[in-house]
Amino acid sequence: MKRPGSTVRTASLISVLAMLIAAAARPAIAAETIDPAADFRAFRDYFTKKFPDVPLNDFVNGPASMDADLRRQWQSIDDFPPYDFAVERGKQMFATPFANGKTYGDCFADKGIGIRQNYPYFDQTGGEVVTLELALNRCREANGERPYSYVKDEMASLTAYMAFTSRGKPFDIKIPNDPRALAAYQKGEQYFYARRGQLNFSCAGCHVQNPGNHIRTEVLAPALGLLAAMPIYRSEWNGMGTISRRFVTCNSQVRGVPLAPQDELYRDVEYYLSYMGNGLPVAGPGARP
Amino acid sequence: MQRGHMRAPARALFVAALCGLMLLASGMAFAQAPSPPGQALAFDRAKGNCLTCHDIKGGDSPGNVGPPLADMKQRFPDREQLKAVIVDETRRNPSTVMPPFGRNLILTNQEIEAVVDFLYTR
Amino acid sequence: MRPMTMAASWRGRGLLVLAVLLFVAASAARAASSEADFKAAMAAADAAESEAGALKNQWTTTEDALAAARKAAAAGDFETAVADARQAEALAKASIAQAKDQETAWRAGVIR
Repeated sequence: MKRPGSTVRTASLISVLAMLIAAAARPAIAAETIDPAADFRAFRDYFTKKFPDVPLNDFVNGPASMDADLRRQWQSIDDFPPYDFAVERGKQMFATPFANGKTYGDCFADKGIGIRQNYPYFDQTGGEVVTLELALNRCREANGERPYSYVKDEMASLTAYMAFTSRGKPFDIKIPNDPRALAAYQKGEQYFYARRGQLNFSCAGCHVQNPGNHIRTEVLAPALGLLAAMPIYRSEWNGMGTISRRFVTCNSQVRGVPLAPQDELYRDVEYYLSYMGNGLPVAGPGARP
Repeated sequence: MQRGHMRAPARALFVAALCGLMLLASGMAFAQAPSPPGQALAFDRAKGNCLTCHDIKGGDSPGNVGPPLADMKQRFPDREQLKAVIVDETRRNPSTVMPPFGRNLILTNQEIEAVVDFLYTR
Repeated sequence: MRPMTMAASWRGRGLLVLAVLLFVAASAARAASSEADFKAAMAAADAAESEAGALKNQWTTTEDALAAARKAAAAGDFETAVADARQAEALAKASIAQAKDQETAWRAGVIR
C-alpha cells in the first residue's frame, strides 16, 4: 500500500511540470509583431462600417458626427465660435518675443505656422514622443521662460492658434522604423485599451464600444479622429482645455488618479490615437458641449 | 466606619460593568445601522450611478449604454444572477463596460442587496 | 447587626468578579484600535498604494480613504482611522490586481 507522502510528492511534481509546460507555451503572445499600418486600416474600417452614413472627414467633429441634434447646435455655434478669444490670444503670444528676444517661431519648422498635423512625433535623439504641448514648454524653458500649466489658459491659447493655422490639413503622424518608436506606439495602444480606475473603464470602452451612445446626456465621441479638434472650448468647463486636460479629467471620471500632464504614457496614447487619425483634417480648435 | 467603606467600591464596580455592557451593545448596534433604500443608492452618482447608463423608471436623463432596467422579475427570476451582474459582470461578459460594483468595492454587499431589492420593483 | 456587604457573600463576590470581567472585556473591545494599530494599518495601506503608484494605476477612492484615515487619526479617533486605513489597503490591492490583470487582458478589446 502506497504511503500518503509519496502520492503528494508525485502530484506536486506533475503540477510543477504542467506549469513549466504552460509557461513555455506563452511566449507566442509576447512575440507578436507590431504593425501600425494594419492596425490603422482595421481601426478606420471599424468606424466607417459602424457609421456608414458619416462622411470620413466628419468623424473629427466628435459627438456632433454621431447625433443630429448636437450637429445642429454645433453648427449654430460656428458663427461666433467660443474659442475665438483663445486663437487671438495665441496669435498675440506668437508675436511677442521672449525676454531674450527670440520667439516661439524660432523653436519650430516653418516658424510654427501650419505644422499642427505633424504632432506628436517620435524624437529619435531623445528616444521619446514629443507632443505639441511638450514642445512649446521646452521652447519656453530653452529660452529662459517658466513653463506653462499644460491643461488650459496660455497652453490652450498657443495650441489653439497653432491648430487654427493648420485647419484642414490632413494629419500626418510618422512612426519611424525604430523599435523605440514602435514600443511607444504599442504602449499607447495598451493604455488606450486597458481598463483603469475603480470604475474599470478603458478609453476603448466608451470610444470604441459606445460611440454615439450617451452617458446621462453626454454623447460619446468616436475614437477615430478623437484628438483632431483639440484644444477645445468645452461648455462643461466654461473654458478651453488641452489634450492634457482631457486625459486628466477622463482618468478622474473613472476614479483613476490622473498621471502628471505629459507623462510618458499620456504622450504615448496621444501618439497612438493621432496615428489612428492620420489623413483626417486638423479641426482645432474645437467646441464641445 | 466599616459599613460605608466596604459598599462603595462594590457598587462602583457594578455600575462600571453596566457601562461596559452598554458600550459593547452600542458597538454592535452601530455595525447594524440600516443602509439607505435601494433607489437612493441606484440614483446616487457617488454610489450606483445606474442612470448614467440605464433607463430606470423614476430616474431622469438616463444614458443608453446599457439596456433599460424594466421587467426585472421576468428577466432575472434568479436573484443571485442579478446580484452577480452587479457584483462583477465581467465574469459573464468579459468585454462589458459595466463596473464591477462588488469586486472593485464600489458598493458594499449590503448596498448591492438593497439595489437588487429596488430593481425588482422596476 | 452588621449589614451584609456584596463582598461578604460568595454570591456577591461572584457578581463582582463577573462585573469586573464584563467591564474589562467591553473596555478592551473599545480600546482595540490604538495608535499603534493605526500606524500598522496605515503602513500596510501606504505600501499597497505605493505599489499601485509604481504600476501607474491608483484609484481616487483609495487616496480619499487614506486621507480620511489620517484625518481621523489626527483627531484621535483611532477606531475610524484603522477602519479607513484597512479600506484603503483593500482598495489599493484591488487596483494592483486590476493593473496586473490588464497587463495581458488589454489585448482582448483591440480592434482587429
